[in-house]
Amino acid sequence: MTNQQQLQHLYWRAGFGPRPEDVAANLSPRKALRQLLRDAQPYQPLASPGIQAAEMQAMTPTPTPDLRQDPQAPALKKNELTPEQRRQQNRQIRDAFYEMNTGWLARMASSPAQLREKMTFFWHGHFACRVRRPDAALQLNNTIRRLALGKFSDLLLAVSKEPAMLQFLNNQQNRKQRPNENFAREVMELFTIGRGHYTEQDVKEAARAFTGWSYDAQGQFVFREKQHDVGPKTFLGRTGNFGGEDILTIILEQPQTAEFITTKLYRFFVNDTPNPAHPNPAHIQPLAKAFFQSNYDLTDLMERLFTADWFYDAANVGTRIKSPIELLAGIKRTLGVELEDKKPLIVFQKALGQTLFEPPNVAGWAGGRSWIDSSTLLFRLQLPQVLLKNAEISIALKEDENDIDPQQTKADRTFRQPVKAKAKLAPLGLLLAKTPEAQQPAALSQFLLQAPIRPENLQLVQQVAQKAPAEGHLRTMVTSLLSLPEYQLM
Amino acid sequence: MPTSRRNFLKTSVLASSLLFVPKFLHALDQQGVQQLRNSNGKRLVVVQLGGGNDGLNMVVPFRNDLYYKARPTLGIKEQSGLLTLDQDLAFNPHMTPLKSLYDQGLVGVLNSVGYPNPDRSHFRSMDIWQSGSASDQYVTSGWLGRYLDSSCSACQVPYNGLEVDDTLSLAMKGELRKGLALKSPEKFHQVTQNWFIQQVSGQQAGGSSSELDYLYKTLAETASSADYLYQTSKVYKSAIAYPNTEFGKNLKTTAELINSGIESRVFYVSLTGFDTHVRQQEQQGKLLGDLSGGLGAFVEDLQKSGQLNDTLILVFSEFGRRVTQNASNGTDHGTANNVLLLGGGLRRQGILNAAPDLLNLDQGDLKYQLDFRSVYATVLRDWLGADDQAILGSEFARLPGLV
Repeated sequence: MTNQQQLQHLYWRAGFGPRPEDVAANLSPRKALRQLLRDAQPYQPLASPGIQAAEMQAMTPTPTPDLRQDPQAPALKKNELTPEQRRQQNRQIRDAFYEMNTGWLARMASSPAQLREKMTFFWHGHFACRVRRPDAALQLNNTIRRLALGKFSDLLLAVSKEPAMLQFLNNQQNRKQRPNENFAREVMELFTIGRGHYTEQDVKEAARAFTGWSYDAQGQFVFREKQHDVGPKTFLGRTGNFGGEDILTIILEQPQTAEFITTKLYRFFVNDTPNPAHPNPAHIQPLAKAFFQSNYDLTDLMERLFTADWFYDAANVGTRIKSPIELLAGIKRTLGVELEDKKPLIVFQKALGQTLFEPPNVAGWAGGRSWIDSSTLLFRLQLPQVLLKNAEISIALKEDENDIDPQQTKADRTFRQPVKAKAKLAPLGLLLAKTPEAQQPAALSQFLLQAPIRPENLQLVQQVAQKAPAEGHLRTMVTSLLSLPEYQLM
Repeated sequence: MPTSRRNFLKTSVLASSLLFVPKFLHALDQQGVQQLRNSNGKRLVVVQLGGGNDGLNMVVPFRNDLYYKARPTLGIKEQSGLLTLDQDLAFNPHMTPLKSLYDQGLVGVLNSVGYPNPDRSHFRSMDIWQSGSASDQYVTSGWLGRYLDSSCSACQVPYNGLEVDDTLSLAMKGELRKGLALKSPEKFHQVTQNWFIQQVSGQQAGGSSSELDYLYKTLAETASSADYLYQTSKVYKSAIAYPNTEFGKNLKTTAELINSGIESRVFYVSLTGFDTHVRQQEQQGKLLGDLSGGLGAFVEDLQKSGQLNDTLILVFSEFGRRVTQNASNGTDHGTANNVLLLGGGLRRQGILNAAPDLLNLDQGDLKYQLDFRSVYATVLRDWLGADDQAILGSEFARLPGLV
């Protein structure tokens, strides 16, 4: 594997793909990783002025004295609004989510903090949460971003106290007299230790410990003492008057938690194929051990992962199906694609099956081959034409893909227009400047594709390029390379 | 694959697109048809009502005072044209064609279908219905997709499913096999006719289990299926008048696919817009008219071509609505709901279980009396002849003698 391939592999996995200048710099993967780690240090929250406006106009939180009610609900209660207010509220909520979504996508494509954004994206699917309040969703997202490369223990505790998560997993309904186990169960099953390492009784006891974890109308975590069960609990073999923090601490004391998280990170960053050799225990075990011994230091773990020899094995390069977000952010990053109107980016996400801030459920996106069916594959192959050649595409989304605003009309759900997009191809031209024309398709394929191109496809790209007028040569080659099944892999 | 073999395939007549048509789509492949017939030849059409259809105003308990008490203005009165069924229940006045099918013994009505610990979020509840999971379970495949996965080894023919839409629902995604989404055979075909896509999809997938070969295999199957569906669906053009709505068109497409002899076992169609928080009567009435008119034409179409006896139609929504109307003459998200079954193969018809119990509510919502997975189990085992337990992950009591 050449240095360029290794470098590109690192940029795809630790970020959202390489730019031509990254390859031109020709750093060693180790140097590039150090740079990525450095650039990922600053934390910059994702902000959106549109959300504040929406908040003020439509969602001023109304404090409620009745604690049996969800404190966030009244402001959003549909039946107290006039139809016009309701429509307006839906529109504002939708616009706020659109802005957060495209704002984040733009950041994935352009932020130097590639690793932080990639980690945030990973945790976004791990701590998957879907709520109707844009401000709560954004707050959770920024908490994750802030702690994405810190200690997993800090991240876990912070996420567990996020109003969005407490609401999504019904912990505001978790009270001494009537425990709700949803949050306690998912914390163990999906967020930390995994099935098979706790009992149903552990879930019940943990739920009692989390009673009283709630949030106020301003979206701040609140511990409601009166609702908390102070009695002794027996959890994972230990007994005490545990509160929620104690439960999380005990969970983190189990080496199995380090292994569970390491395995999930490995699947995301290294290899997620169903091959029984993956995830490879010989790779995972030492990582998990070090992760545990470092008190769950995520930067340390990621550094170990990205510097392992096996990370650059052929079996791990160009063998992972890009998620829709990775596909879109990657095209944007590599080619500097900018859309005049950002809304189509949402349509593409929905049509391809992954919309930021809208995971299908608390288990997140399944990933791998589940991204690919006949319609998503065809859509993926047409997308470069749409973005780079203003080709028209017609697609009607399902209503259930518009849950944020369920009353959209059929016309609103149908997308049929050429997308006005600009791409910056000049840096690519520079990258190819020293390559003789006949070898340009091959050189370009080595930059754009992580899986080796099939010989017949190289011929095809050459053929297509020859037919294009000279000034459209590069654009045509790029478009066809991006339209190949090979480009779906990273 | 060695180059010589690839070249052979490229140049030989075998390399025509039919080679890559998955066997299950070969109506022309006599052996395939034979095997499908062996697996009983029955098909299922699922109609999804998105947004939470209000079952209480679709199948109206018009002799129940509690209904009118909970819905002083939204309750539909008998004299406004309710279409009386049995057991003091009546169809919404906009459902004349469905009432006529009911009178012909082609309809079964199930009341209060739901699941324990119901979720009132659209997407989560739909996720539950489409995956066939429990409310605290997260399953990433759909119940019909897993049915497609489950083709019995004796049949050798994998089943296939078609969704009439631009994108594929979770319901139709299995672990190994997925249905095809097509708005129409023409549009589906047209996309694959893009010159570049055609060139790439004509290539052979390698024989490995790599992700790249998976992509090539999916693409080749998609293109050849599109081709085959387009050619075959030309055989039959419906002469029945369908309502001129999106849903009507989609049902017409479905009937044309069925009547052209496409041996798919599962079809999936959606009708959306049932999220009626405000001024429900007008909106739901229109949608139920669309549903009823569409299904009326669809059943007539299949009846004429002799396909109705082998077709079962299942109509569901992700939840029903609150029993009490809200302040905007609408209803909010609720729980248990009606499921309709239609077809010539129903062995029991009419109202199939007790009417909703409006006295015994759970915080203002209907309690479910029948788990939706019991309905799925019945359809899977008794209609499609599949292993319901393997597909649903546990055993649910089936409804005896229904289909």
